[in-house]
Amino acid sequence: MFLKLALRNIAAYKKRTIVTLLLTTITTGLLVFSTAWMDGSHQTMIKNAVEIYPGHIQITGKDFREKPSFDNLIFEAAIIQEKLSQIDGINYFASRFESFVLFSADEKAVGGMLTGIEPEQEKYLSRLASSLLKGEYLTQGDTNQVYIGHEFAKRLKIDLGDEVAFVGNGADYSFAADNLTVKGIFQTGLYGFDAGSAFIAKKYFDQIMAAENYATHFIVLPKRTEKAEELAVEISRVIGPDYQSASWNQIMADLVKAMQLDSLFGYITLGVIFIVIFFVIMIYTLLTVFARIHEIGILRAIGTTPQQILAMLLLESSLLALISVIIGGLIGGYFAYYFQLNPIVFSGYEEQFKQYGLAVSAMPTAFAPLVIFRDMLVMFVLSVLSTLYPIIKINQYRPVEAMRHV
Amino acid sequence: MKQKLFCFFILFSLFLFSHSFAGPADDIIKKVEENLNGKTAVMTISMDVKTKRAKRTMKMDSYSIGNKKSFIKILYPGKDKGITFLKIDNTMWQYVPRIEKTIKIPASMMLQSWMGSDFTNDDLVRESSITEDYTSNFLEETESGYKVELLPNEDAAVVWGKIIMEISKEYYLPTTVHYFDEDDILIRELIYTDVQPFGERFYPTTWLMLPKEKDKEGHETIVEISNAVFDGDVSESYFTKRALKRYSD
Repeated sequence: MFLKLALRNIAAYKKRTIVTLLLTTITTGLLVFSTAWMDGSHQTMIKNAVEIYPGHIQITGKDFREKPSFDNLIFEAAIIQEKLSQIDGINYFASRFESFVLFSADEKAVGGMLTGIEPEQEKYLSRLASSLLKGEYLTQGDTNQVYIGHEFAKRLKIDLGDEVAFVGNGADYSFAADNLTVKGIFQTGLYGFDAGSAFIAKKYFDQIMAAENYATHFIVLPKRTEKAEELAVEISRVIGPDYQSASWNQIMADLVKAMQLDSLFGYITLGVIFIVIFFVIMIYTLLTVFARIHEIGILRAIGTTPQQILAMLLLESSLLALISVIIGGLIGGYFAYYFQLNPIVFSGYEEQFKQYGLAVSAMPTAFAPLVIFRDMLVMFVLSVLSTLYPIIKINQYRPVEAMRHV
Repeated sequence: MKQKLFCFFILFSLFLFSHSFAGPADDIIKKVEENLNGKTAVMTISMDVKTKRAKRTMKMDSYSIGNKKSFIKILYPGKDKGITFLKIDNTMWQYVPRIEKTIKIPASMMLQSWMGSDFTNDDLVRESSITEDYTSNFLEETESGYKVELLPNEDAAVVWGKIIMEISKEYYLPTTVHYFDEDDILIRELIYTDVQPFGERFYPTTWLMLPKEKDKEGHETIVEISNAVFDGDVSESYFTKRALKRYSD
């Protein structure tokens, strides 16, 4: 009976129906899509930042992260290697040795990072190999051949086949220097990285830098990247307290925080919009419900209880909210899905992204049904809540009062 | 009345200011600097660098004219033999025979360690211009020495926020120097000992550098000077860029 009445009323008060439907639908769609957009872009930025170079899990000497000096290295790389190869959840891993040295092609010297890597494994751990611009990537047996960032090569005014010398300190703080030949040039798109990094095969690096069996980092790629945090804890347990194992959300805590802050501001903006819409729906419901005060008075006079009227009016707004939330969710969800498959490309904005250290121009949205459902639920509750005040208010009139209300 | 007070205050502070500017410490510091640098100096130096894990020894020859020009050549260990350094005013070059290259040390690298020791490139270049870059304040006089505080001049491009130098009255040479950063945190301590006569001049032959930063725990560098000749003739030929390679072997 209520349902019938409610449906009839929905059909009868077209203006209210349309306005409520329209507003709630659009808001739901907007919320669903904005959430997908924010989550999607943040995930992309973090994923990019992680995968270009830092890696999902980093193992270092215990104090290396706070005090990155040669006193806090990994001094038993072979043991770590052995222990890591026994852990199940690891897909690939490799050691790196990072050192800050002076590069010089002519007399002018430029400071930069010279890192010894294991080229074969490194392919899977970072985007170094796939960021090849010209020349060739490194191989395990390379000697004094260097794989250098595009912008760095430009700063040093060198190209493929050219020689560049470096001077620095070996792992024992002794003096180290050598001439390197440019074998390949890479460009990840991360300006700071491309303008100050160069790589050589670790085997050779260890010889000239007195770094045999030493490493600054071990980089680990988990079999399931979403389980990086758990795997990092497991690795910590296996390798013992002399070492530290951290997942990307610890390594890149600043970036993660920045993204969270960005989400927060996003939600605040959306919240302000929703509050406005909430009041619009409330005022509209108030107007229509009061326009029906005469009708409600009559209903009461012929014996309908206030509870029944409350139920009827609530059912009306719930039905409206449900319909619009479903439509809105579908529309928002469709867009979220579509733009996940066809990421929005900001072709003109690469430069601006780079300033924030982001090497991405295409931003896919994150289509997550559970999140969409959550947003729909939020909007449903909000929409029904906004009609609650007028409905309760009108039920407080006595029948005679209501019928005579002008 | 108020105005008078104000005038008095200004005069008084001016007086204080000027007083601190030309304190007796200036003369002491100048004397110390002259004693440390000499007109010219030729020295054989041995340097021990200790870290948590290892100890290395280096030997080198050093030639200098005043505090403006100096030339250093590494003699030991064998793998570093022939590396030369040239400093003229505030610029430093390095020649490395292994790569057959002369490199100008960029300004951004000045605070990096020199040859893996606890001395920085900056120490080699700048240590000697204290009278130009710092204002000295007399702190305290004891029976055996003075304690002087050095604060950087406003326009001086220096590393330290404050230096406290203890000076022996006997030789007018520093005994202990404490280096502080801009936040007044002690960064390192340099201790000069074993003063010995070289001709008419007395000179501290052992320098102990103790870094106080946490990440350099257990590090120290000891410099020992033997065979010093002061105020003799030093060939100008050492102080050209060509000399870097020429005197390398």
